[in-house]
Amino acid sequence: MRNIIAIAKKEMTVYLTTPWAWIVFTFVSFVSSFFFVGLLVQFKQAHEDIRLQGGWEQVSPDAQFLRNLTDGVVMPLFSTMLVVLLFVVPFLSARLFAEERRQKTFELLMTSPVTSAEIVLGKYLGGLVIIGATVGVTMVYPLVLAMYGSSFSATTSEKTATLEWVTVLLGFGALVVWGATILSIGTFISSLTESVIVAGLITFAICLVWMVLKIVAPNAEEPWRSVLDHLAFDAQLRNPLRGVLDLKPIVFFSSVIATFLVLTHRSVESRRWV
Amino acid sequence: MAMIEVERLTKKYRDRVAIDALSFTIGEGKIVGFLGPNGAGKSTTMKILTGFMPATEGKARVAGFDVFEKPLEAKRQIGYLPETPPLYPELTVRGFLHFVAEIKGVPRKQVKSEIDRVAQGTGVTTELDRLNSALSKGYRQRVGIAQALIGNPKLLILDEPTEGLDPRQRNEVLQLIKGLAGQHTVVLSTHILAEVKTICEQVLIIHRGKIVADDTMAAISGGKENGLEEKFISLTAN
Repeated sequence: MRNIIAIAKKEMTVYLTTPWAWIVFTFVSFVSSFFFVGLLVQFKQAHEDIRLQGGWEQVSPDAQFLRNLTDGVVMPLFSTMLVVLLFVVPFLSARLFAEERRQKTFELLMTSPVTSAEIVLGKYLGGLVIIGATVGVTMVYPLVLAMYGSSFSATTSEKTATLEWVTVLLGFGALVVWGATILSIGTFISSLTESVIVAGLITFAICLVWMVLKIVAPNAEEPWRSVLDHLAFDAQLRNPLRGVLDLKPIVFFSSVIATFLVLTHRSVESRRWV
Repeated sequence: MAMIEVERLTKKYRDRVAIDALSFTIGEGKIVGFLGPNGAGKSTTMKILTGFMPATEGKARVAGFDVFEKPLEAKRQIGYLPETPPLYPELTVRGFLHFVAEIKGVPRKQVKSEIDRVAQGTGVTTELDRLNSALSKGYRQRVGIAQALIGNPKLLILDEPTEGLDPRQRNEVLQLIKGLAGQHTVVLSTHILAEVKTICEQVLIIHRGKIVADDTMAAISGGKENGLEEKFISLTAN
């Protein structure tokens, strides 16, 4: 356990003393603030329109999510963050093993009294903390809403809580899990090559294909349609991002993560046996 | 007691035989020169001994631990400086040595004093708070040796520790290694014979993956001034 933490700590130090993590934090703050403002404007516009039209009964079911800040602003923001993570996580994961090989520091790890499993878990954990922090950046927006927003009950006009925190936290958890999943794929790809750029691009390409499945699925024939639809990245995330917690996505994503960590372990071990 | 016991160690890279049925023993507390022309199999042998890669055939034991069957125990006995010092450029020297101490299992309370000890021994105390990437070649090499000394391992394996240093740095590093005799067994790989003459007691010469000489310094040089050079050239002629 001490070895895992030592390696995780080293990874975190490297991320935070080089531009890697800071570029990601900056990029994520920039993009998410852009979307946040956009969503707020849309939300406000919708509420003004409704006042003129005379009530929510007139509004189509598709637009009902705009009734409150949680469903109208925070959750759509988290949905866009899924795509943002697709860009930044491969950027973070690419260096985990590739850089180690390029700098010839891998020999140090491999000749120290640590097991391959400890190396893989330590590196993964270090990356995971940085990804948690990256997702954490977007928690600023719910906090801003909670501080400055207000909400009234439609029936009694009494003041109610601005946000449904349980839903918000579930969405946050879903984002971290999604980040953790891409990270596990990226860690594996990084263990295969010496080039950080190649590792990043391949990870990104794999995740992109995963996202495109959603578009391909409706055009495929059964039984492929069901299979593709089930595997599409956001099929599993739709529920948690609506505030519904069920077991299926947890099982799905933890199996993907476990599979890729085992593959990474095999890949690191195989380096010993060339 | 023998620190290193190697029996019929063979490594093949596909069809190419890098080392061919090597057998030798190295006693405790010795400084041993591991010589050979470039590409003779020196680094391969060291990488097998340190558990970085496995052998195709044969056995190797370090301080009594089989490096294939008990890799973690064997690795705990070894401090290893690879050909390129494995320094993380993003870390400070102190941060780097701290990391090495942790993964080598130095007890938490002793980590600080251990860093000071190896830094003092290798003369990098003044550089502890600089980034590895800012170090000169000579200091990189020293930090590489400091890293190998952490945890006070019984066996030090140094792969070309003086490569790329200027004559003064070279001399300093050699004196440093010489000072380690007695407390550690040192295996030193190099193709610079003058270095071996200054500090080694035992010499192993390897050529095309085979041991061609294994004897004490005195016996190999035959008491002559350039006896080692002559022997080396005649043994590695073809």
